[in-house]
Amino acid sequence: MDFHAALSLGLPIGIGIAAVGSGIGLGLIGQGAMQAIGRQPEATAKIQLAMIIIAALAEALTIYAFVTMFLLSSKI
Amino acid sequence: MGLEFLARVRTTTLWVGAVASLMIATYASPLTGLAFGAGALWSLVNLALIERLIVTLTGLKRTRPASLRRIGLALLGMLALFAAGPLLLTRLAPHWLMAGFFLPFTVIVLKAAARLLLESRAWAAITRRPWRAALVVVATVALAWGALGALPRSGVARDAGSAALAASETGAAEGHAAETTAAESHAAEGAEHGEAKSEGPQEFPNVIGILAGAFPHATWAHFLEHYEVLVYSLFIALLLCFLAFLASRNAKMYPGRLQNAVEALVEALHDFIVGILGPKFGPRYVPFLGTLFIYILAMNLFGLIPFMHSPTSNLNVTVALALTVFVYVQFTGFRELGLVGYFDHMLGNPRDVTSWIVAPLIFPIHLLGELAKPISLSCRLFGNIFGEDMLLVAFATLGVTMLSFTHLPFGLPLHLPFLFLALLSSTLQALVFTVLSTIYFLLMLPHDDHEHEEEAHHAHSPQVQEG
Repeated sequence: MDFHAALSLGLPIGIGIAAVGSGIGLGLIGQGAMQAIGRQPEATAKIQLAMIIIAALAEALTIYAFVTMFLLSSKI
Repeated sequence: MGLEFLARVRTTTLWVGAVASLMIATYASPLTGLAFGAGALWSLVNLALIERLIVTLTGLKRTRPASLRRIGLALLGMLALFAAGPLLLTRLAPHWLMAGFFLPFTVIVLKAAARLLLESRAWAAITRRPWRAALVVVATVALAWGALGALPRSGVARDAGSAALAASETGAAEGHAAETTAAESHAAEGAEHGEAKSEGPQEFPNVIGILAGAFPHATWAHFLEHYEVLVYSLFIALLLCFLAFLASRNAKMYPGRLQNAVEALVEALHDFIVGILGPKFGPRYVPFLGTLFIYILAMNLFGLIPFMHSPTSNLNVTVALALTVFVYVQFTGFRELGLVGYFDHMLGNPRDVTSWIVAPLIFPIHLLGELAKPISLSCRLFGNIFGEDMLLVAFATLGVTMLSFTHLPFGLPLHLPFLFLALLSSTLQALVFTVLSTIYFLLMLPHDDHEHEEEAHHAHSPQVQEG
């Protein structure tokens, strides 16, 4: 297997693995936030704000994989 | 069929002319598109001036000085138009100019014909029964298909077909040819640019790309294309300044629509940021963070306007924004905490023996955390907006390829659902950037509410960390 084949096989798999990871993370964040809102509906605004921040942090990991894919996809 | 008919003709011609000239510029060659647009514009201005002249001349107040001035102005404008005519004819392709020139008349004829048709008895008979109407539609489509299929394949049809396959690439052949010649003459940077263009994923055509394709040898076009992102971001900044100026020019107690909207936005941003930073430090950072939000939102949404390009889908812009935030946060740290306080903060506020022992470990972690902030901010924004644009391009290309067997310059709007996704993610990313910047300010500012901190310690609430 040469360099190009390895790269073209590895890039989609890599981005997929990253997406799985942050998908799990986003699910957990959503679950936690929904439970918190259910327990304390009057704090919805605060909880949503924190949820969006942490969701952005979790999602960023996939974005890094995505950016890396674009950086490397020119080398295929 | 009075003046309002003419006004409607003008509006329709303006829209049709803009879309048609941009399509011609994309599919045929940029210069012909420009010629078509110029011809249509010339004709439109001419018609408007004539209309104005006639209205003033036949009006009741034709002897008033204002009317006389208006007549003089119209005559002067027509003179200028006739002077511009030969210039355009010598510079641009004459038959495309003529085609553009006849566009308003075509619109007038078609509108009048449609009016006649709509009032006729045959039309009423057709539209009364749904199946009859459907039959007529099917017959028309079949006829159009046959007529277009009968067109000689050598000319427009094949060109359009191949252009449709190449989808959204701007003036593909010329652009690339120009790029390669430029690459040969301008050694390093030109070569790099050309390579990036041919290798990387395709983009939607934008105005600057079309202009650069139209004038491949002009220095100003080359300059514009090279600093495309800067031009767009500066343009957006100017646009926002202008909007703010318009909204606040004569502020009233009972605000108009624009003033109301802008005030609501500013108030919401103020409340939001003060809610996070607290009433002591909040108001000071509202202008910076609020501007950041509005500017990023405008830049993200700009790419969804046809023939425009969002600057935030370029890493340079997002890095610049994130560096601004980084520098301001560090400056705030030095100003609010002092030099000693700043290093105290970086060491993790050591107060007892244990924390002094771990301080050398905490310091590099804090340092890396500070340095990771701008990288994470810029990569997140860039990745989201760039990915969103790529998604739209991919689905638009798919839609065009699906219909490419018809050899028509049309496609299915497959990217339509993703436009709404793009709207959502543009707003969300602008919000996330602003909120994270606010949090970075919050982490750097002195925490003087001890109750809150202790409460956080007891509850083991998750502190926001850098991702």
